[in-house]
Amino acid sequence: MNSPQDSSVVGSAPKVSWREALSQNAGAYVGLILPLIIIALLTIWPTVTGKDITRESIFTIMLSIALASSLNILLGYTGYVSFGHVVFFGLGGYVGFYLMAVQGWSLWPAMAMGGLAAGLLAFLLGKAILRLRGGYFALATIGVNEAMRAFINNFEPFGGPVGMTLNFQVYRDYGGAAQALRMTFYILAAITFIVILVSYFVRMSKFGLGLLAIREDEDAAEVMGVVAPSAKTWAYVLSAIFPGILGVLFFFKNGSIEPVPAFRLNFSIEMIVMVMLGGQGTVLGPILGGIGYQSLRGYLLTSPLFKNIQLAVAGVLLLVIVLFVPAGVVGWLRNRFPVLRRILQ
Amino acid sequence: MKRTFFWSFLLILVLALAACGGSAEPTAPAAAAQPGETTAEQPAEATAPPAAETAAQTIIIGFTASQTGNQNVPSTGQVNGLNLWKDTVNEAGGIELADGSKVMVDFVSYDDESNTDRVQELYTRLATEDEANFLISPYSSGLTAAAAVISEQYGKVMITTGAASDDTYQQGLTLVYQAYTPASRYLTGAVDMLESVDPEAKNVAFVYENSKFSTDVVEAARQYAEGKGYNVVLMEGYDPETTDFGPFINKIQDSQPDAIMGGGHFQDGSTFTRQLNEKNVDVGFFALLVAPPEPDFADLGDAAVGVVGPSQWEPQAAFTPDSASAAGLDWYGPLGEEFVQSYEAKFDGAEPSYHAAGGYAAGLILEKAIRDAGSTDPAAVQQALDAMNLQTFFGHIQFDTSAEAHGLQTGHSMVYIQWQKDADGNLVKEVVWPLEGATADTIYPMP
Repeated sequence: MNSPQDSSVVGSAPKVSWREALSQNAGAYVGLILPLIIIALLTIWPTVTGKDITRESIFTIMLSIALASSLNILLGYTGYVSFGHVVFFGLGGYVGFYLMAVQGWSLWPAMAMGGLAAGLLAFLLGKAILRLRGGYFALATIGVNEAMRAFINNFEPFGGPVGMTLNFQVYRDYGGAAQALRMTFYILAAITFIVILVSYFVRMSKFGLGLLAIREDEDAAEVMGVVAPSAKTWAYVLSAIFPGILGVLFFFKNGSIEPVPAFRLNFSIEMIVMVMLGGQGTVLGPILGGIGYQSLRGYLLTSPLFKNIQLAVAGVLLLVIVLFVPAGVVGWLRNRFPVLRRILQ
Repeated sequence: MKRTFFWSFLLILVLALAACGGSAEPTAPAAAAQPGETTAEQPAEATAPPAAETAAQTIIIGFTASQTGNQNVPSTGQVNGLNLWKDTVNEAGGIELADGSKVMVDFVSYDDESNTDRVQELYTRLATEDEANFLISPYSSGLTAAAAVISEQYGKVMITTGAASDDTYQQGLTLVYQAYTPASRYLTGAVDMLESVDPEAKNVAFVYENSKFSTDVVEAARQYAEGKGYNVVLMEGYDPETTDFGPFINKIQDSQPDAIMGGGHFQDGSTFTRQLNEKNVDVGFFALLVAPPEPDFADLGDAAVGVVGPSQWEPQAAFTPDSASAAGLDWYGPLGEEFVQSYEAKFDGAEPSYHAAGGYAAGLILEKAIRDAGSTDPAAVQQALDAMNLQTFFGHIQFDTSAEAHGLQTGHSMVYIQWQKDADGNLVKEVVWPLEGATADTIYPMP
């Protein structure tokens, strides 16, 4: 555990006002500066270039950042590898899409319900499968994803294998497809912002310390007074809510939803890769991982030189990274330059 | 060792920066980089000076293809068909407009990896950065639905091919036009065919892949069959990755159907056929989606004999200028055999599948619409497409123009093939339905 401000949560000293607390603990927020600057830059970049394609590329990147950061709460802080994390993205997407396409709800409440459904599933699952450790837990999460896909495939209200399609009229309610797509981008930016804040405050909180303790040695953590089952469950729920909300947003933009793309196991694995790439257990890591991975893939897909062999090149690069920078970019920088440790959380 | 870390990190960083840079700078029309494109461009430049009065115009047509992922095989056929169309147009000097000038055709395409993650991003790139004038759909209905949102947003006309599901066209789109027969009419002909070959048959089993397309098709066929008084004795979906059809075959045997219909895509369809044959299931009529029309289906040997499949197009299809005038329609484009010959010449003797023909047809539809409109203006082309009613080597082409299902294909219909043995015992694919286009009688019951 290398968090230097163990008890630096705002409000730990009840007598001082929050403003004083903030200035006293200003150091605690140093780690938040860089992530927020990066997200802010990504958000305004499309306006600067004035190009829709920039917005679309950054949409993909930002979606990955938000998903990877959510997963990081479980994978990075708690040390539990969830291979089937896409199940929350898919389920949330399905619930929200159903409410929009069939029940005629608007996007906002549909997103809330998507997040709620994902959180609820995580809570129930957490009670059941978080008792498993290591590889057994990872396997169980894959099983959950496959089971959910099979269920949705046979669940008629959600369209079964046919899925659902959004009537174009829905976009006109938001001022046409162009407006709707622009709006989804800014909603995504706002959600990403919140995810980063949550990720940061979890890491800096007592709850987060409990998670880190579980990661290092679950039995020892329990001896020290961390209530592991409940802490793990809440970490799982927290890491599931945002993918649920993002699922609704993504499939709203996509215009249709089907079981196979909604519960694509590869997507789960990509999330894990992004977290590992950037540095697991850090706030900045998933952000760098998301940017690095998605811009690399985006570049290879469209570059005239690589577009026919893009998968092979991406594979080789990932291999190089995992071989030579196993702790991720942030982990490597922290080890190499101890001075940066305060800034790179 | 540390140095190695540093350099590999630097490499990643540079690539990542290049990637970001790539999206920020206007990329030179990526067209020139597409291998094979060069051959098309050179004659374009060579013919430019003689044509002279107006500088040779080039329109860009954008699409994504599934170069990787599970839709790779049909998507490749589709792209081959499109490439052949482009070469044919450009060799003829381009598409003639109202003012007598000609436009050449150029393609920009990207790999969509058979999944929806980046389809919208790539189509936005095509519509904005690459300045595509027109779009062609990706392969498969799911990807097309995502691309349609983008085509609509940027006001680009999109011709879809390889996207049969009806519901994409029932969402209030105005710029998307379907080349294929929609899913709702995919397998209904097989029911008619069964009725014609055996009026006694009453029980039908549907065993099909749990995917959007197959379920749409089978659901429509089931309703149609029930409407005709058939008993549906089995309605069973299987997972796309199924390799053991044993449990389904047992259920089929228990329910004793006169006919089995269903299937999904190539892999599962051919496995299903083989296992049905191995277990000696006694059934007179077996119609499967997608797999039978593929030339590779013949690899199954005797198991393939008697299997019926719906096809968007077959090389033997008897559409000619004569059949067009008999039906009171205009004829446009090459004859069926001309298409087959030029396809085989371009792709080392490979026989074109219906996906390839569909790709070519999508190009042809666009070409005709531009010619009719006399310009490349999207609104004029849209009007020409709405008014289109013609016959090509691919069949009848006409679009629904109602607000509820704008762009849905209403003219084209399926042909049904059956694998049979010729006099020498070789497997051949014969068109058996509709009867007016049949090249052989249906074998019933199947051996």
